[in-house]
Amino acid sequence: MEKQHHIQLVPGDVGETVFLPGDVFRAKVIAEHFDTYELVAHSRQYITYTGTYQGVKVSVTSTGIGGAAAAIAIEELVKVGAKNLIRIGTGGMFQTWLPIPALLVITGAVRGDGLTREYFPPEYPAVADLYVVESMLKSAEKLGVEVHTGYEWSHDSFYAGSVFSKLDILEIEKPWIDAGVLIASQEASTVLTLSTARKVRGGVILASAGHHQNPHNQASAEQMVKAISDATRISLETAVLLDKMDHPEKYK
Amino acid sequence: MDGETLHRQHHIDCLPGEVAPTALIPGDPGRVQVFADLMDEAWKVAHKREYLTYTGKKDGVPVSCTSCGIGPSPTAIGVEELIRVGTKNIIRIGTCGVIQPDIKPGDMIIATAAVRGERATEEFISVDYPANADYRVVRALIDACEKLNLPYHLGIIRTHDAFYLESPWAHGDYKARLQKWIDLNVLAVENESSALFVVSSMQGVRAGTILVAGANIFEEKQDNTDMEPHIRNMVLAGITAAQLLQERGLA
Repeated sequence: MEKQHHIQLVPGDVGETVFLPGDVFRAKVIAEHFDTYELVAHSRQYITYTGTYQGVKVSVTSTGIGGAAAAIAIEELVKVGAKNLIRIGTGGMFQTWLPIPALLVITGAVRGDGLTREYFPPEYPAVADLYVVESMLKSAEKLGVEVHTGYEWSHDSFYAGSVFSKLDILEIEKPWIDAGVLIASQEASTVLTLSTARKVRGGVILASAGHHQNPHNQASAEQMVKAISDATRISLETAVLLDKMDHPEKYK
Repeated sequence: MDGETLHRQHHIDCLPGEVAPTALIPGDPGRVQVFADLMDEAWKVAHKREYLTYTGKKDGVPVSCTSCGIGPSPTAIGVEELIRVGTKNIIRIGTCGVIQPDIKPGDMIIATAAVRGERATEEFISVDYPANADYRVVRALIDACEKLNLPYHLGIIRTHDAFYLESPWAHGDYKARLQKWIDLNVLAVENESSALFVVSSMQGVRAGTILVAGANIFEEKQDNTDMEPHIRNMVLAGITAAQLLQERGLA
């Protein structure tokens, strides 16, 4: 098979579980949590490291920002053999009862983005894979890390729906806040719908520095480094649990 | 408790305290009797229009069953009123048309989410919002099927309004109409779950759906006789899931 156009990978280059940060530099931070890793490819914002964690082959591929770029990475990763796609990212929270910083295991997404509208009828659900959600919760418990579960509002315009916006974001976001949606970010809708349609598992874990209601009360940079590290550790343990479920013969 | 909940609900005709923390919702009032027969004890709470409610106990665990009629509109009403009288877990039990191969008649289908192909929930919230089952209810339904040794399939389903556009008895080329959902990995079609999922999740109430597979709707011959034993198994799976939710501190 030729190398995939954007991610520049062929079958065998990635493990069954691939972590998907948006940030090309965060990919290396995530890879540094593996037991071993090496650079496999780098083109545009797509960088891939593959290695092992507790004997399981795992990979990380950065997607860049937004649904459009994430969908390209996902389509190409599925073609080279990825089975479990786990986004590790950040977002701004809607619910003031959530702690700062917080780690959120995403169970579904509001499809406020354009990418999935082009792919799927608007009524198609963005739902996280049950086994990914359960494995993340088990892993968080094992590691002693507090996590919360709920929905992400996936949207396209950072400067319309973040604490840096000049618009009245709480007015724009009111329907989602009232419905109990936890957080704004950009890619869960894409990861979850595409995974369902392509018959692979999709999941999302997000770290958040603060609430849209209180732009001046945000977690420190050090706190966020730890939160993203915790999200990575949970995701790695999740990769091991999924591997045990899919390949029980390896663990006899 | 606010004033709203002190009187009998307009449609289900129930008061707080009359309904258990977990309620099963079939479409068909006739299936409420199947539920009552499977409980150790059960008593009729109310019956108004298509809404028939029984509450009972099995192995000491209280469970209710309220029929909600056919379609998203009466389901959205029934679910809303069950929430207003204090129900915490709502599980739809029903039948469906299967659109994927490898699902046999009588198999159970556990929905993780539903396509929102109806209009009732758009009055509540934009179609962007997902109609997803609660993962803890999905887990309880899986564990119930495994405990009862019932074959099951896990995946997304399609909820829609018009039965006579997407069923073996439909007008015109229903196969062409359904092809895009087959391509999108939808397992089955039915008429209620997205209303249950949206109305519940917006209010922090847990919901799930278990369905009995009928014949694949592309089969020429629709042999849906002898479904009653499977329907009884499905109701029993719903009751078992309710017990598991109670055991897990979720009721």
